[in-house]
Amino acid sequence: MAAEVEKVTKGRPARAGRPAPHSSAREQADRRLGYSLVTPVIVLLLAITAFPLLYNLWNAFHFDNLSYGGLPHKWVGFSNFSTLFHASSGWVAALERTLVFTVVTIVFDIVVALAMALMMNRTFRGRGFLRAAILVPWAVPTVVSATLWKTMFDPRAGFVDYFLGAFHPAWASLSWLGASTSRSWVAIFVADSWKNIPFVAIILLAGLQVIPNEVYEAAKMDGATWWQSFRRITLPMLKPVISVALIFRTLQALLVFDVIYIMTGGGPGNSTETLSFLNYQTFIVNTDFGVGGAMSILLVIIALIVSAIYVRAFRPEATT
Amino acid sequence: MGSTKRVSKGRSVRWRAGAIAVAASLAALTAACSSSSSSSSSGVPVTTSQTITFAESGLGSEGMQTQKAITAFEAANPNIKVNIQVLSSDSTTYLSQLEHDFIAGSSTPDVFESDVTYPAKFAQAGWVLSLSSLNPNMAQFFPHEVAAGTYNGTPYAVPWFDNPEGLFYRTDLIKTPPTSPAQVVSDAQAAMKADKSLKEGIAFEANKYEGAITAFLTVDSAFGGTLDPQNINTPGNVAALNWLHAAIYQYHIAPTAVTGWEEGQVEQEFVSGYTPFAIDYPFVESLATAAPVKGNVGYIPFPAGPGGTPGSALGGEMLAINAKTAHAAAAWKLIEYLTSAPVEIARAIATGDPPSLPSAYTSQLLSAAPYFAAVKTLNTYSAPRPVTPNYLTVSADIQTIFSSVFANSAANAASSALASGAATVKTAANSTPA
Repeated sequence: MAAEVEKVTKGRPARAGRPAPHSSAREQADRRLGYSLVTPVIVLLLAITAFPLLYNLWNAFHFDNLSYGGLPHKWVGFSNFSTLFHASSGWVAALERTLVFTVVTIVFDIVVALAMALMMNRTFRGRGFLRAAILVPWAVPTVVSATLWKTMFDPRAGFVDYFLGAFHPAWASLSWLGASTSRSWVAIFVADSWKNIPFVAIILLAGLQVIPNEVYEAAKMDGATWWQSFRRITLPMLKPVISVALIFRTLQALLVFDVIYIMTGGGPGNSTETLSFLNYQTFIVNTDFGVGGAMSILLVIIALIVSAIYVRAFRPEATT
Repeated sequence: MGSTKRVSKGRSVRWRAGAIAVAASLAALTAACSSSSSSSSSGVPVTTSQTITFAESGLGSEGMQTQKAITAFEAANPNIKVNIQVLSSDSTTYLSQLEHDFIAGSSTPDVFESDVTYPAKFAQAGWVLSLSSLNPNMAQFFPHEVAAGTYNGTPYAVPWFDNPEGLFYRTDLIKTPPTSPAQVVSDAQAAMKADKSLKEGIAFEANKYEGAITAFLTVDSAFGGTLDPQNINTPGNVAALNWLHAAIYQYHIAPTAVTGWEEGQVEQEFVSGYTPFAIDYPFVESLATAAPVKGNVGYIPFPAGPGGTPGSALGGEMLAINAKTAHAAAAWKLIEYLTSAPVEIARAIATGDPPSLPSAYTSQLLSAAPYFAAVKTLNTYSAPRPVTPNYLTVSADIQTIFSSVFANSAANAASSALASGAATVKTAANSTPA
């Protein structure tokens, strides 16, 4: 009997998922052990992801302002949500700004990144180095890159005004971040695109590299021009990759916070306040976890809707 | 049989491993839920041997001086040991760290450093101990900072050091200190004309942050204004904001770059010799160590215009006690020690933090750092920011208003922004739960 037990132990199939005859008790024990070993991870994940999400949901329907710590967190229904649609909350205005920023930055990023990817897909000396170097901005933490760009746009210490001053004396002392609502957006676009275009370019480059060369050769033999090949071959075959890049960048742009926080603090006035920045103000400055919770839930819903639209627009059936 | 033993042993090991994993995760979860909820309702007598935690934000010389004072306190009070908890030097993060402790109902830190704008918020939330029962002698401190720590007539925080913002000027370029806002303008313009190495006539904080409010407060009373959130749209406030705005767009004595400046950049402009005037805190004086600024620094309240009084804005730090602490008596003893004249004088000499006690401006201090005579004068004028539990929200709204004014070159930018923003600020100040 003992020898049989040992035989079963040693002869246990190595491949997972295959039922082992005569070993149901052993398998149950293994399963129990497996569950036990993953329990800490499950507990950890529940504690740091599920619990905050559910707690935030609870907050969104209750009064929970830390300035009034002694008051009960009573149920307020949808009032935290309806508050956001009053003009005084600034949420609708921030939504408009965020959507405009998202559309403009994505269109710009995709166009420039596609041009860069097409360039890097060609064979030339130093291509490997360029492909690696181009990723550097993306590898820099946004807080660092935003601080760098803030310095570069400084009218005293930055290179931007120094450079522009070579073309026109009046441009040598432009204040980009605090004295003009339009220039502050330009500075934010530049800083944000500098950081994110390389990421999109690398994704698109990966997509370009899997397009078989034979397709282009066949098109060439049929007399297709470069533009026709690009429109009829490159773009359609890049669609899945473009959809991935779009989803990533759209969500990033919708949630943009750090570059705004560092460069303008939402100013001048509140002209660069986006949804995430307003959410930060509500949570951290106003310590209003009820309204802040409602804001973050709406932001998640907006992000989900946008993602769903992309997934639907780019699903394989639609591409054929 | 031996094989059976091995199998049993293997099962036992697995069982133990699984049990340990489950137990560890449950223990971690339990600990996370309960680690910071301890509190005691009965106070520990000051004579009992005990350890208290003091949260502060000081780094560098300030941190070292705090440590030095704590060591001396422990030597004088052998039964009280003080753990120093150094929190973030960033004020927003510092506030968040304190709030996390308070929200969790933690009894520590027992005593903590507080910005002058926090006590009202902490008091309303019930996080900070009323000092009434400890009979503090608040009359010994500069009254404006005492007011900042008083909420609904009850003192909640004790002034630790009192940092008044005022007007720095170059005594080699401005021979006699200006006596009116108009003279600041004419002196600045004359200095810029006479000395081409100057890049501007005045530097001040106009970035969208708290410093824009203190810069405004520094000039506000000079025009007869007061920053009452119930109505910020007063003639005095309009005139004061208009003066700062005009300094950029009408008098051209301040560059548009000020719209991105905080006190650090203002200090750099002044100590680098780029400006004859700067609105900033006393620490600038100790940094003016090189020509042409060294030895040529004057520091005055912003000169009053018609109907106004000399202007200065209150900054500084206070000390307060956690409402949940069991060591209130020991915490109070520490506060009394840190705010005693000899300790404040030693701190002022070592770090430049101006004492909160008028009696600490002794000949010993003034001989070590003569500029403290000017600081004492400014402390008699320094205007506190609005004392309201909703100050952070009020401040954010005012910052937005000021920022929009500084980005708008129109001559009526100040009056129209204050007129349209007054209601928002009032609503924020009066915001009460539904």
